[in-house]
Amino acid sequence: MGQKEILGNLASAIVEGDNDKAIKNAKEVLSSKIDPLKAVEEGLSKGMAIVGERFEKGDAFLPELLMAADTFNAAMVLLKPEIEAQKKQVTKAGTVLIGTVKGDVHNIGKNIVATVLETHGFEVIDIGVDNPSLNFIQEAEKVKAQVIALSSLMTTTMPGQKEVIETLKEMHLREKYFVIVGGGPVTQEWADKIGADGYGRSAVQAVEIVKKLLGERI
Amino acid sequence: MLNFLDIYERALKGPIMTEKDFDMKLFMPILNKVVKAYGIQYDRENPIPSDDRAADNLFNAALEFMSQVGVYCQDTNRVIQFTRAEVLEAIKEAPGRCLAGEGKDAGVFGMRKPDDRKVPWLHVGSGIVATTEEMATNLIESYGCIAEANSISISALDSIRGIPVMAGSPAELYAAIRGVKIGREALRRAGRPGLPIMNLISTAAAAVTTIAASAPQFGLRPTDGWLVGAISEMKIDFGAMNKVAYLLNWGANIGAESSPILGGYCGGPAGTAVVSTAYVLMGLLVHRGSYQLTFPVHFKYGCSTPRDVLWAVSASCQAASRNIPMPVIWLGYIAGGPNTKIFFYESAAYLLCTVTSGAPSAQTPHPAKAVKIDGITPMEAKFGVEMAKAASKFDRQKANELVIRLLEKYESQIEIAPTGSKYQECYDIITGKPSQEYLWLYNEVKEELTRMGIIFE
Repeated sequence: MGQKEILGNLASAIVEGDNDKAIKNAKEVLSSKIDPLKAVEEGLSKGMAIVGERFEKGDAFLPELLMAADTFNAAMVLLKPEIEAQKKQVTKAGTVLIGTVKGDVHNIGKNIVATVLETHGFEVIDIGVDNPSLNFIQEAEKVKAQVIALSSLMTTTMPGQKEVIETLKEMHLREKYFVIVGGGPVTQEWADKIGADGYGRSAVQAVEIVKKLLGERI
Repeated sequence: MLNFLDIYERALKGPIMTEKDFDMKLFMPILNKVVKAYGIQYDRENPIPSDDRAADNLFNAALEFMSQVGVYCQDTNRVIQFTRAEVLEAIKEAPGRCLAGEGKDAGVFGMRKPDDRKVPWLHVGSGIVATTEEMATNLIESYGCIAEANSISISALDSIRGIPVMAGSPAELYAAIRGVKIGREALRRAGRPGLPIMNLISTAAAAVTTIAASAPQFGLRPTDGWLVGAISEMKIDFGAMNKVAYLLNWGANIGAESSPILGGYCGGPAGTAVVSTAYVLMGLLVHRGSYQLTFPVHFKYGCSTPRDVLWAVSASCQAASRNIPMPVIWLGYIAGGPNTKIFFYESAAYLLCTVTSGAPSAQTPHPAKAVKIDGITPMEAKFGVEMAKAASKFDRQKANELVIRLLEKYESQIEIAPTGSKYQECYDIITGKPSQEYLWLYNEVKEELTRMGIIFE
């Protein structure tokens, strides 16, 4: 198989959510001595971008996004060691820590945002649901996040978003992180009131905001 | 029949797996398989299908899905599983009715079928947050004054003595108790103290708060109704199970609450229709519900009125009303807010969809996706009742034609729908009367709908 065909197969494996196909072609990358970073950027990531576009158009939904991400990870199990052995690394657009605030166990919206961010090349650390404020901050410090994304789906848990921001200020860490907020009851008005850096009404908007904020920092 | 302790035991002994594995290896693949095997297909041209065989087929798909997937317990990381025979037995033994309210306001909330001309059980109001006790009282009193109201939902409070309510906090407990007392008193002012409140406890997110504020000395009765939520999708936790345990011991009405998300784990409209129907089975088996409240929404728009959600709602409402004896309140989340025309177009479409699809109950459609604080007025409640009654005069086919015309009016605007006015911006807080502008808008929209063929009594 030629390089073009292998990279094409990697992209289509992502679109189809076909782990076996992705693994088979990742092995071809290695045996054919194709640059593994090229395989990621021009094969796997291309497939993720196609799925991301379909999602934005409403032709694909969370299951397709998750399957694509799962297939991506399956291929990376083989490619990542080779990339590291060559002393290279996959360029990430940035690191986002995302979670649902304390008292709230809703996660679907958060999962959609996390997966869409991944399709756009961000490293996303998802700390799950029902997180006290300190948890967000400690984890953000650990993974060196640039953005903290706070999800809340109930009016009674929205104060948790304000609490994270206030706690960051108390710990003199506010300037270190961008904080964006989202979730059903959250509005731009609320985001402005609590001093958040951004509000995303949808997953696509969340990506745009993160890109804009990190672009400003650069 | 299984009792609740049997369910709890299954939460302790069922197959163990991570939540991610439940979603990725059980829920999504089996849903995909069932949708294909049963040929469940979204029909874009007909948001309200008129095909009883398709409705029964969807029910069978949901039955298979439920018996293969089960319900995930987040606290034990195990799956509560049911055999097909157990699900069918639960259906066979379900009473199909809920006794609610006291005295002259007592009633039987029962079943309807698609194309049924019987007026549905009219559930009025919402748990949308009210920032002052005065507004909450005015709203609830106005709901009680709607003569046709069979039950009501009461407002949630977001602060107590200026302290914001946070889930699971003492402030939430104080506010929950206060909210319940306001609800009862407001109904007394309306002359309907026996009217059942069926969205208990709107201010309380945590189980401990719900249980504590339910103590009878605060005014609640077992003939009211408590909402116990599922966690999307097809999950439960000990908090919800504790509420169920308490309410069962008291003999109170339990309302199983669900909100399948089109675009989330359910995928597109076909998968959402299957899961929406399966939730009614979950409501019977796990929540032990006397009734159900469900509000499917679109993941991107956060509302129930995009065309694909209407289809999923209609299809699953038909499947459930034909096959599962569970009185369900089908609730619509509306993109447009109070005092906007789009609110009324969307609400009309949603009520035509559900009422003609056999919805046992219609609730006041919730403006601005139920998230605008002070974002509901008595006008929306009044319209909900009038429109539900008007919708009951149509069959599915006629309703479908009307919904298609209504979609032309609002479909392209959903994403940018205005959130409208707060209560205090279009109503007099002291007198509880609407502004002249809102009255004009309301009458204008009703005339428009009447010209379309919708006859209001």
